[in-house]
Amino acid sequence: MSETFRNRLLLLVALLLAAVYLFPLYWMYITALKTGSEMFRAPPSFWPDDPQWSIFPFVFQLKGMGRFLWNSVVIASGSVALIAVLGTGAAYVLARYRNVWIDVGLFLVLMLQVLPASLMITPIFVLFTLTGILDFPRTAVILAIAAKSMPFFIVLVRATFMSVPMELEEAALVDGNSRAGAFWSIVLPLARNGILVAAILIFMQAFGEFVYSKSLIQEIELQPSSVGLNAFMGPNTNEWNRIMAFASIYVTPILATFVLLQRRIVSGLTSGALK
Amino acid sequence: MRRLYSSLVDGRGFDLCLIGIPLAFLIVLSGIPLIYNVVMSFQAVDMFSLGSFIRPWVGFENYRQLIAQPEFWPIMGHTATFLAASIAGQFLLGFALALFFWTNFPGASWLRGLFLVSWVMPGLVVGAVWNWLLSGDFGVFNFVLRELHVISGNVFWRSDPNFALWSVIIANIWLGTSFNMILLSVGLSSIPADLYEAAELDGAGALTRFWTITLPMMRSTIGALISLGLIFTLQQFDLFAAITSGGPNNASNVAQYWAWDLSFKQYDFAKGAAISVIMIAVVMVASVYYVRSTRHEVRG
Repeated sequence: MSETFRNRLLLLVALLLAAVYLFPLYWMYITALKTGSEMFRAPPSFWPDDPQWSIFPFVFQLKGMGRFLWNSVVIASGSVALIAVLGTGAAYVLARYRNVWIDVGLFLVLMLQVLPASLMITPIFVLFTLTGILDFPRTAVILAIAAKSMPFFIVLVRATFMSVPMELEEAALVDGNSRAGAFWSIVLPLARNGILVAAILIFMQAFGEFVYSKSLIQEIELQPSSVGLNAFMGPNTNEWNRIMAFASIYVTPILATFVLLQRRIVSGLTSGALK
Repeated sequence: MRRLYSSLVDGRGFDLCLIGIPLAFLIVLSGIPLIYNVVMSFQAVDMFSLGSFIRPWVGFENYRQLIAQPEFWPIMGHTATFLAASIAGQFLLGFALALFFWTNFPGASWLRGLFLVSWVMPGLVVGAVWNWLLSGDFGVFNFVLRELHVISGNVFWRSDPNFALWSVIIANIWLGTSFNMILLSVGLSSIPADLYEAAELDGAGALTRFWTITLPMMRSTIGALISLGLIFTLQQFDLFAAITSGGPNNASNVAQYWAWDLSFKQYDFAKGAAISVIMIAVVMVASVYYVRSTRHEVRG
């Protein structure tokens, strides 16, 4: 068995595995394109007879998806901005020094990372009600997401700062830069890629966030797409082609971003979680 | 004043400022809720006292009532089943895929990365898609199983009390397999190749090499991954909301969904807080193990 033949065979098997694994995504898009009667046909058709492309603008209009998506973007951008501004500094300090206090800080950050949102939402809801933050529901969700996701961001970005050589910073200090100046003009630009990847991962998470938005936002005008999708799926629904169209519109930007930046996202993720 | 400014720009103050503000933020928005949660679980909370800090103290009454509820032990059992089945499924499938992609053919790393889309998708979308795939009469999952002669009649995954929990488990395994695979791949690629060469020269077969080299070398990765799996699985909420809502009749209810349901559907915030305290304690134990097993890597 020659090397090329072996490689081709393995690639074929890999493609088959990927096809099986990603079948649910394929089924989402295909169902969206089917007519109401074709959707419930037995045996199911694996390619739509008459693709209903008009369902995407129709569902977008019907469900007011512009508003839902806008709210998702507002919540995700707000969370990422807050997390990036606060988390980058923390990650830098945690990467630069090594003593008992840093270990304690790291331990705290790692422990805060694991608190499940659905368990934390009860005290957060009550505290936000007491302090009046709940009058600004989207801000409340942004604060809650920032507290939940910042530890993850810190862990990822800290790994990036660890790989920036300290000699460069020291050289800048010798040249007369202040600490702040060296951080701003030497260390940050060198860590830019890692920060960007972590920010993208956080954005994707926040874009799909559900528990906090569902519990803290009552007004439908302020709800993000995840809550909209949940409300669309009643217990005995039979509008599956429309629901799948909603899901497709919601998830396609995330999938496109991921496929484009796949290599960087995967390497950024693995460096933070384990290494 | 001048000294303060120069310390902020060029001294200790700079570091303290960078770490202090985020830490204060985390303490206010994670630490205080965490403590307040414990306080609240010992109070009587109703819709009227929700808006005031001072509430009657009831000791362990909330916990006692919670455990006395007939659904308490079944829900704890479901939580254990959900955790064990999800983690085992994700890990075994992820390991199998990681071993396959480890053979390293052209395009392997790109294709492997593609699997991770299941993990970056919003949980609600994953739930919606699986809800439709697992539909009883028209679901394609039943169709495939029938064609493979695994089942003879349709299984009503979401509404049959025997299968409702498993419908969420299946979706959760799909969601987490890719993440397991990626991290296991990283662990596999860090095993030095000469170990295998030496073993092969000594005449060790593929299975022996797996048991005596691969598994022992992967021990810390596997430990971290299992505890990470426990943490992630206990965070899983969206799939329950999107597929079964804990039903029918609590057949697929788990602790983390129940906590939310008690607080936000039944407005029983005190019991919601009590179950949260119990579960957070479980998560904390798992995370201590996770932190310990990754400490060497995290310290750099």
